[in-house]
Amino acid sequence: MVARVAGVFDEKLTEAIANSKVLVVGAGGIGCEILKNLVLTGFPNIEIIDLDTIDVSNLNRQFLFHKEHVGKSKAQVAKDSALSFNPNVNIVAHHDSVISNDYGVSYFKQFNIVMNALDNRVARNHVNRICLAANVPLIETGTAGYAGQIELIKKGLTQCYECQPKAPQKSFPGCTIRNTPSEPIHCIVWAKHLFNQLFGEEDPDQDVSPDTADPEAAGEAGASAMTSKETDAGNVERKSTRMWAAETDYDPQKLFSKLFGDDIRYLLSMENLWKKRRPPTPLTWDNLPGKDDTPTQHSGLPDQRVWSVYECAQVFATCCKSLQADLKGRPEGDHLVWDKDEKSAMDFVTACANIRAHIFNIQLKSRFEIKSMAGNIIPAIATANAIVAGIAVLRAQSILKGDIETCTSVYLRPKVNHRGQLFVPERTLTAPNPKCYVCAPKPEVALACNLKSLTLKDLNTALKEGLNMQAPDATVEGKGLVVLSSEPGETDHNNDKTLEEIGLNDGCALMVDDFLQNYEVRVRLQQEDEEKAWRLVTDVDEPMPAPKEQKPTNGANGNNEPKPGPSRPKDDDSDSDMEIIEEDDGVPTAKAPKRRRTEMTDEVVELC
Amino acid sequence: MVENNDMELSEAEAEQYDRQIRLWGLESQKRLRASKVLIIGLTGLGAEIAKNIILSGVKSVCLLDNEKLRETDLYSQFLSPPDKVGENRAEASLQRAKALNPMVEVTTETKSVDDLPDSFFTQFDIVCATGLKQEQLERINNACRDSNKKFLCGDVWGVFGYMFADLVDHEYSEEIVQHKAVKRGPDDTAKNPCEKVTINVKRRAIYVPLQNALSADWSKPELRSRLRRGDPSYFVMKILLRFRDENNRNPDPSKRKADTEILLRMRDEIVKELNLPNGFVSDALLTDVFGIVSGVAAVLGGVIAQEVVKAVSQREPPHNNMFFFNPIKCVGFVELYGQ
Ligand SMILES: [Zn+2]
Repeated sequence: MVARVAGVFDEKLTEAIANSKVLVVGAGGIGCEILKNLVLTGFPNIEIIDLDTIDVSNLNRQFLFHKEHVGKSKAQVAKDSALSFNPNVNIVAHHDSVISNDYGVSYFKQFNIVMNALDNRVARNHVNRICLAANVPLIETGTAGYAGQIELIKKGLTQCYECQPKAPQKSFPGCTIRNTPSEPIHCIVWAKHLFNQLFGEEDPDQDVSPDTADPEAAGEAGASAMTSKETDAGNVERKSTRMWAAETDYDPQKLFSKLFGDDIRYLLSMENLWKKRRPPTPLTWDNLPGKDDTPTQHSGLPDQRVWSVYECAQVFATCCKSLQADLKGRPEGDHLVWDKDEKSAMDFVTACANIRAHIFNIQLKSRFEIKSMAGNIIPAIATANAIVAGIAVLRAQSILKGDIETCTSVYLRPKVNHRGQLFVPERTLTAPNPKCYVCAPKPEVALACNLKSLTLKDLNTALKEGLNMQAPDATVEGKGLVVLSSEPGETDHNNDKTLEEIGLNDGCALMVDDFLQNYEVRVRLQQEDEEKAWRLVTDVDEPMPAPKEQKPTNGANGNNEPKPGPSRPKDDDSDSDMEIIEEDDGVPTAKAPKRRRTEMTDEVVELC
Repeated sequence: MVENNDMELSEAEAEQYDRQIRLWGLESQKRLRASKVLIIGLTGLGAEIAKNIILSGVKSVCLLDNEKLRETDLYSQFLSPPDKVGENRAEASLQRAKALNPMVEVTTETKSVDDLPDSFFTQFDIVCATGLKQEQLERINNACRDSNKKFLCGDVWGVFGYMFADLVDHEYSEEIVQHKAVKRGPDDTAKNPCEKVTINVKRRAIYVPLQNALSADWSKPELRSRLRRGDPSYFVMKILLRFRDENNRNPDPSKRKADTEILLRMRDEIVKELNLPNGFVSDALLTDVFGIVSGVAAVLGGVIAQEVVKAVSQREPPHNNMFFFNPIKCVGFVELYGQ
C-alpha cells in the first residue's frame, strides 16, 4: 500500500498513512466523500459505520450509491463501491448504530483517527464522549446547504463537541400550538401532534385540543373556559382523542367537525385570547372554501401548488382512512411513526396544517414547503460535502504527520467574507472549557428541579435527554446508594418515587455514569419549588480561557445558561450532514469574525 | 447563455434533485438541465469536477482527454477502474461517469485540444479546463469569450490548487435576506416576530480573460499592497504553470528531488522578475506539489463545480476571478486579478 502514495507525500507521512487505522462514522454525503478520499490516498485500514439504508433523495450527492442500491445498507454499498477504486485497502463495513455496546472505548482505541460524518446531535455527543475516553483524535464535520465546518476534537488539547452549550432546538410553547398559532410552522407542529394523537405514539406533551390553562386566558372569572369543570372536561377529552376517533371509526367528517369546528368554537369562548388577535373562524364540512374553484394553471413542481381548503379536506378524508387501515393492520398496541417520506403521513400533515392555517388567517403553504418544515430538511449538495470531506482528510493527514496543533477549525462559508475568504481557518486551536460537564477533569452539572415532585423516572429522562446519556447509573455521593441502574428491572420498583421520598434533598449530589460512553458526571441537586419539570444549569459564568467563540444562545446574560428541558418537541429529524454553521459577518472588523453554532434555527421563537 | 428550459421536471427528477431544489430553486434546476458542459483533462481534479456536475443534473457533459490513464492517476482518479491503466483517460472514465446519474448524457472526446477547432469548444455553454499549458488555456478562453461562452480553468499540484473564471459579462440574481415586522390584522398590536423575507436582486459582473489575470502588473501600488497580506498562492501558481510550460509535464512524484530543485530555481526567477520580497514564496509551499492529492482534488473539484452551477443557473454571485487553496494555512480565498 505504501506504493500508492510514494513520492506524492514525504516519507514520514507515507509511512504514517501505511500504518494507520481510521474509523468513519456515517456513510452519508460527507461519509461517502471521506471514504473515497481515504481509499484513493491509500489509507490501508478503514472501518465505516452507518445504520441507514439508501433513499432516492440521497443520490444527488452520495455518489457511491446508484438507483439500484435504494433500500440497501449505506455502509455496505459504500464499502463495495470504494473498493472498486482501490481493491488493495481493507474496509470493514458495519450496518449498525454507533450507539451500541459493540462500539465502546476499547473498540475506538484501535483507531488512530475517528472521522465523524453524522447527521444528528445524539450520535455526535456519543462519539465525542467515547473519543475523549479513548483519547483518540476526532475530526467532526458537517454541512448545511453551501456552508460547512471541519473541527478537530482532542482530549486536553481542544474544546470538545459539548464544551459550548448548543442552541436549543426550536420549540414552541404549548399554548401557541394549541390555542394561538400565528405562523405556518405552528400549524405544522400541531398537525404532526395530531398525527401522533390519532395514529402514532400518544404523548401527553403533544396535546392538540384547546389548552384551558393558557395564562393569557386567565383573569376571565366566570368565563366558561376557566371553570374547573371545563378543565376536567378538557383533560378527559385529551386522554381520549385516540379512543374517540376509534369510536367514530375515524369518520373523517366527524373528526373534521370536532377538530376544525367544535374545538375552534371552544377557543373562541376563551375571549381574552382574542382581544388583541384576529379570532379564528370555525369551518363546517359542507361549506368549504375552494369547492367550486376552477383549477388554475400551475407552473413548477406539482408539490409546489398550494391546495385549496376544499382539497385539503378531501385529502384529510382519504388519509384518515388509509392511515386508519395501516394502523389496523398492525399488532395490538403498535402505532405508526410519522415519516415525511410516507405519502399518507405527509399528505395528512399538509392538509391539517393548511386547514388550521386557514382558520387562523395564516398563509397556506404547498406540500413542498411543508415537507421542508415538518421534516426539518436541511438542503444538501454534492459540492459542499466534497469540500468539507476533502479538508477533513487533509486534517487527518496532518494529524498522522504529527502536526496536530496546526489542525484548527475550518469554516466553509456560503459566500466569501470581507477578506475574500471562502474557507476560513481559525487562527489557533480553541482550548477546552474547564467547566465543561463532559471533558473537564471532574465534570459537574446542577439539576434544578422540584425534589418533591420529580420522580426517579423523570430523573432518568433528564439524564438521557439533558445530558445525552444512553444508559445512566446513578448513586448517591458519599453513600453509594444506587438510585438508578441501567440493568433492566433493578431499580424499576422506585420509578414513581420522588427524589425527596428516597431521601434526596437540596445540595445532595449524585454520581452518574454511563458505561457505554465511559463518562461520569457529578450532578448537584438544586431545589426549585417553581420548576415544573427540570433544567440543567452549567457553570459558564467564568470567562473562557480563549473566548473566541460566541455563546450560541441568546438568553440569560451568559451565565447559568439553561439547557433545554423535557417539554421541547422531539422534532429532530434532520436530513442533513450538518448542524453547525457560521454566523454571517457582513460588517468588516479588525477582529476575527465571531462564530457561533446554530442548528439552522435562527427564527425568532415567541414565548407565551 | 443557457437557454431557459420551460419543460417541467419529471417526477424522477424532482425526487432525485429534491434536496438541491430546496437550496437553489426549481428555476436553477431547469437551467442546469439545459446546459452543456465540457471538461478537459480527466485527472483526479477532472474526475471530481465531472462527478459534481453530473450529480447536479446538467443536460450533458463531454469528457475530453487525449492522454492515457497512468498508475499515478489512481491516487485521485476514481472514475477510471485500476485495470484500465494504459487506456485513454476519458474513455476509461465514461462508464462510471454515466452511472453517477443516468439522466445526464455523458460523451467523450479523445483528440488533443490542439487538434480541435475553436467551434468545438464553443458548442458548450461552459468549459472547464485542467492540466493544459498556459497557451492552450488562453486560446480556448479567447475562443469561448468571442462566442460569449463561459470558461473556467484550474489545477491541483500536490496539496496546492487554484481556479480561474472568465464568465465574460455575467448576469445573475442574488438572494438577499431582509427582516421585517409582520402584522396579522388591522387590530393587531401584539408583539410580532420579525419575518425573514428573501428578495431577489439582479446583478451583473464583468470578467477579464486569463491572459490579463496571469500578466497582472505587480509594480502597481494596488497589487503591491496585496503583498502585505502575505499569501504567495498566486506566485506558486505562476511557478507551477511555468514548470509545466517549460518541461511539458507536471512535477513528477518519482523525481521529487530533482524537480524540487527546478521549482526552487523558477521561484527565484519569478521573485526577481516581479520584484517580490525575499523569502515571500517559502520552500515549504513548493515541496508538496507532486501528483494530485485526493483531498485537494475534492476541494478544488467542489469549488469549480459549484462555480459551474452558479454560472449556468445564473444564481448567486460567482467568484471573480481567481480562487486559491493555500494548504499550509488551510485557507481558500478569492482575489481579482488583471483589472
Ligand atoms: Zn468539553
